[in-house]
Amino acid sequence: MTEIQEEIKVTAKDVPRIGVYVCHCGINIAGVVDVVKLKEYASTLPDVVLAREYKFMCSDNGQKMIKEDIEAGLINRVVVAACSPRMHEPTFRLTCKEAGLNQFLFEQANIREHATWVNMQDPEGAYDIAKDHIRMAVAKARKLVPLQVQKVKVEPSCLIIGAGIAGMNSALDLADEGYKVYLVERSPTIGGHMAQLDKTFPTMDCSACILTPRMVDVARKKNIEIMTYSEVVDVSGYVGNFEVTIMKKPHYVDQEKCTACGACVEYCPVVCGNEFDLGMGTRKAIYIPFPQAVPGEYTIDMDKCIKCGICARTDVCEPEAIKYDDKPEYVKVKVGTIIVATGWDLYDPTELEQYGYGRYLNVITGLQMERLLSSFGPVLGKPVRPSDGKPPHTIAFLQCVGSRNFREGGNTYCSRVCCMYATKQARQYKEKHPEAEVYIFYMDIRAFGKGYEEFYESAAENYGIKYVRGRIAEVYGGENDSIIIRAEDTLLQTPIELEVDMFVLSCGLEARADSDKVSSLLSIQRSADGFFMEAHPKLRPVDTLTDGIFVAGVAQGPKDIPDTVAQAKGAASSAAALMAQGEVEIEPYFSVVIEHLCSGCRSCQSLCPFGAIDFDEFKKIAVVNPALCKGCGTCVSACPSGAMVQNHFANFQLNSIIEVALKQPTIENGGK
Amino acid sequence: MSDNVEKYIKRKVYEKENSRIAQKFVDAGLEKIRSCINCGTCTGSCPSGRRTAYRTRSAIRKALTGDESVLQDIDIWLCTTCYYCYERCPRNIPVTDMIIKLRNIAVEEGYILDNHFNLADKIFYATGHGVPATGEDNKKWRDLRESYGLPPLPPTVHTHPEALKECQELMKSSGFRELMDNVAEKKKKAQEEAERQKEEVKDK
Amino acid sequence: MSDEKKWRYAFFLGCVAPNRYPMIESSIRAVFDHLGAEILEMEGASCCPAPGVFRAFHIPTWLVIAARNLTIAEELGVDVITGCNGCYGTLRDAWYELIHEPELKKMVNEHLAKVGRQFKGSIEPKHIVQAMYQDMGLDYLKGFVKHKFKDLKVAVHYGCHILKPSDKRPWGGAYENPTFLDEIVEITGAKSIDYKEKFMCCGAGGAVRTAVKEVAADFSREKLVNMREAGADIVIDCCPFCHLELDLGQFEANNYFKDIIGEPLNIPVIYLTQLLGLSFGIDPNELGLIKNHDLKGVSPFIPIDPFIEKVKEELL
Repeated sequence: MTEIQEEIKVTAKDVPRIGVYVCHCGINIAGVVDVVKLKEYASTLPDVVLAREYKFMCSDNGQKMIKEDIEAGLINRVVVAACSPRMHEPTFRLTCKEAGLNQFLFEQANIREHATWVNMQDPEGAYDIAKDHIRMAVAKARKLVPLQVQKVKVEPSCLIIGAGIAGMNSALDLADEGYKVYLVERSPTIGGHMAQLDKTFPTMDCSACILTPRMVDVARKKNIEIMTYSEVVDVSGYVGNFEVTIMKKPHYVDQEKCTACGACVEYCPVVCGNEFDLGMGTRKAIYIPFPQAVPGEYTIDMDKCIKCGICARTDVCEPEAIKYDDKPEYVKVKVGTIIVATGWDLYDPTELEQYGYGRYLNVITGLQMERLLSSFGPVLGKPVRPSDGKPPHTIAFLQCVGSRNFREGGNTYCSRVCCMYATKQARQYKEKHPEAEVYIFYMDIRAFGKGYEEFYESAAENYGIKYVRGRIAEVYGGENDSIIIRAEDTLLQTPIELEVDMFVLSCGLEARADSDKVSSLLSIQRSADGFFMEAHPKLRPVDTLTDGIFVAGVAQGPKDIPDTVAQAKGAASSAAALMAQGEVEIEPYFSVVIEHLCSGCRSCQSLCPFGAIDFDEFKKIAVVNPALCKGCGTCVSACPSGAMVQNHFANFQLNSIIEVALKQPTIENGGK
Repeated sequence: MSDNVEKYIKRKVYEKENSRIAQKFVDAGLEKIRSCINCGTCTGSCPSGRRTAYRTRSAIRKALTGDESVLQDIDIWLCTTCYYCYERCPRNIPVTDMIIKLRNIAVEEGYILDNHFNLADKIFYATGHGVPATGEDNKKWRDLRESYGLPPLPPTVHTHPEALKECQELMKSSGFRELMDNVAEKKKKAQEEAERQKEEVKDK
Repeated sequence: MSDEKKWRYAFFLGCVAPNRYPMIESSIRAVFDHLGAEILEMEGASCCPAPGVFRAFHIPTWLVIAARNLTIAEELGVDVITGCNGCYGTLRDAWYELIHEPELKKMVNEHLAKVGRQFKGSIEPKHIVQAMYQDMGLDYLKGFVKHKFKDLKVAVHYGCHILKPSDKRPWGGAYENPTFLDEIVEITGAKSIDYKEKFMCCGAGGAVRTAVKEVAADFSREKLVNMREAGADIVIDCCPFCHLELDLGQFEANNYFKDIIGEPLNIPVIYLTQLLGLSFGIDPNELGLIKNHDLKGVSPFIPIDPFIEKVKEELL
């Protein structure tokens, strides 16, 4: 435990005594520029009392250097010229704090990402830019004033958006740790896509058998409040204090009175396509998505309901639970953390016209095949051809449909699970029909997980599934609704034609169609592939760049069930860590109103994107809520009176940087 | 080596160095060819491959791995440029353009079918048309035009000698004339070499 | 007002149409005139140059000669139309490349300067099908239909270069199953039938016909056998080279592949504007449908009399 010294009193009136530390960063900086020369340059700058250089400033020894200088009273401002502040600003701030110097009297000059890393072929140019950065950081350091961090309380409750296997696992862990969980799910049941799967690879566990006990667990836990058939419509606030508005869609069936007896279903005259079975099965207008749905109460799909009134008859629904005049209900909750576990959509292969999806009856997607194989699916687990209801003798699977596609608008990433799910489905079909001929056409087989390679080997050796290395180019219809496939067996270098009874497209996973709405609702980012962006691809896989909001499961990127559960538990742990501390530090970059300059025009209030500015009716001036303020600077530039000052980024601080940046030209010819 | 051994031992060294042909692609800005993962969609789509020995993917692979025999192969001339491979490649490689480039390289090095060479040199350069209507042999086509009420020759280079001169000037400027002359040279040399080898065998 | 033409185009003839299938040229002229478009001659135009052969030999030459042809239209200040997929492929691809790549344009203009020409990229090369479908529109074309065929089954052959490379074509990226040509054909009352491998290449392009005729003939054999199986009365195409391959190629296939095709193939091959012209009531002589000479060894090689006989009754 490092002893934290008591903070030395430093005010703006004190003469700045700046210490500059130039880091080699191994060869990242020192390999391109002469750090000793940079150090010497730094020591020539006004108000710099000492300059040092060291191999790795972030190391213990490097930090010790700074601490010793502070404790010896030599310096009252610190500038470290090294990597990006995103890397180590917190490190060096803590170093200052531990040595007794206010942590906001520290400034970092980025001479790695902004100088040496982007100019590796031009050492002279890199050196000039590095000098600029050091000079600018020193200029700012001169004007820095001590600030205090804000501490805000963290509500010990978490909102989890999405109740698939990821959302449910996070919910269970957090509930067990004693936190209140609001589990919001858009569809009428929890369980997500995993409920649609039949068996799971590589163990061949029945998906429903491992999922439904968890679903029941989730329903039983006192700390978890399940809100199905609900959507988050508004989120405001900040880490530890999110205010969320949830819309509970009308079921048109009183959820308290409904006993889930199912009598209404027998009488309902409307038969429509079943989303759960991807259009291959039917349901009534009043329904539950699948038999083991949790909650088990029914819902009426008003788009399909003809309001015949039969289900409302007392001899049909004895508890009189039907409510045609049901309305949406809006609920407001306050939570400390949010976990986004919204899952995925399956890629729609209709646009790949060469594969005939939507034109030929016997071309189906992998998820449709999954429903055919499912024991509570439309054919009770005995897959048949959509055209004639007979079991197919020859089946072909095509991998990488909608994935690994570098064409315009295509998903370039690998969806990770398709090689395994196709192998699994092929194996399941062979178990039911050992005489069937099953082909899997692939570009690469990715069997990366625990037990996966063995599963793949067994599929070929024990089940006789034929793997052909060649991506199918096109298909056309044959007699009796058969599908004729054209591909190249690349290992034999021969074009082949194959007639099959059924063609399964192993479609990839995509970000949900409305991810952009969720993104803007929560102010979280998406990666180029459309999935939600993690804060750091290696070291912070469950955090988002917005404090207090975490992401888990396929919402962050395609992955299998083991990885999803692991990530869900990780997100729960991160959320719990935040909530366990009970309070969180917020950086003091907020704006401050200079009261005597404020004219009360309220321009700032109408422009603030975070609703952080209130109006004091008595004093007739603007007031900033430091916890809501994110330091964006909009109010500062809008204020006509110059009454807004931004902590740590005040105009007088920024102006001094600009002045020194412009004074010395760095490009010999043409530089200003 | 004794005859027996030669019959069976065929040492083939896989050229791991940067293929000369692949480098030409890179220099021409067609480095996309290097991202080919050999999925076979191109060959699978190819209507020619279904009836000839032409294999789109193999031609690309040979170019990338430095198998120079691809330049002398007639197979790369059996692509009809239907563009299906170009449209369907998952790596977004403009496959047809790659085959065209391979043909360019082949022609540069003197590998061109006699039919094509005559078409380029004696017909296109000489008349400005790929399928001309001038000359004695083509009188029936001029008569056919007239029978439909059209002038015997169309208002193209056929009736504008100055336009034909322009085309020929451009073809000299662009290097086409020089290319054809070089090809003629190479063909002549190749023929002489073939004759010489025939003589050698006869002498044996 | 009646003399003012709604559309003005420079007509690029190419090689095969004027020099081997002049009926295609005359039917295009007749139909476009009838539709109210003014045709301007591209004096001194040359071979486009043919993409399969000349682009395969030397790309810079191909670009320069193509650009030269485009400058002729630029000087006339109007868009180019062509009735040939191959010429369309060349003119369109060259135009697209030159307007998107300044380096290439510079190189080409350096050569063109030597003959006093400059490529600007100020006009657009169009296929006659594109001009009819997009500039004029189906509704406009329907207004000219005087006669609808009663029982005519047409096997429509699009060819390749009118559709691909799809990023350089005006069909919004569609190339697997387009319908625009079928729609135009069907305004005449004819029925466009589905047949196996409808969008397969005819086999002529890419220098294949000039390389090995038998390979090209095998392509047409496959297509024509499929068309026959589907019950086609005629083939409709929009490219003179496809037209040649399906017509002369049909004749050749009957010879090369007589062992496998059974009965010799004899499906009349008709160019799009010939059918449209008949439907619009234009004199069949102007459309090149009536043989009025004794020349031997000229097109069409597969007699089109069966088609004329079939529709004569209806039309009179």
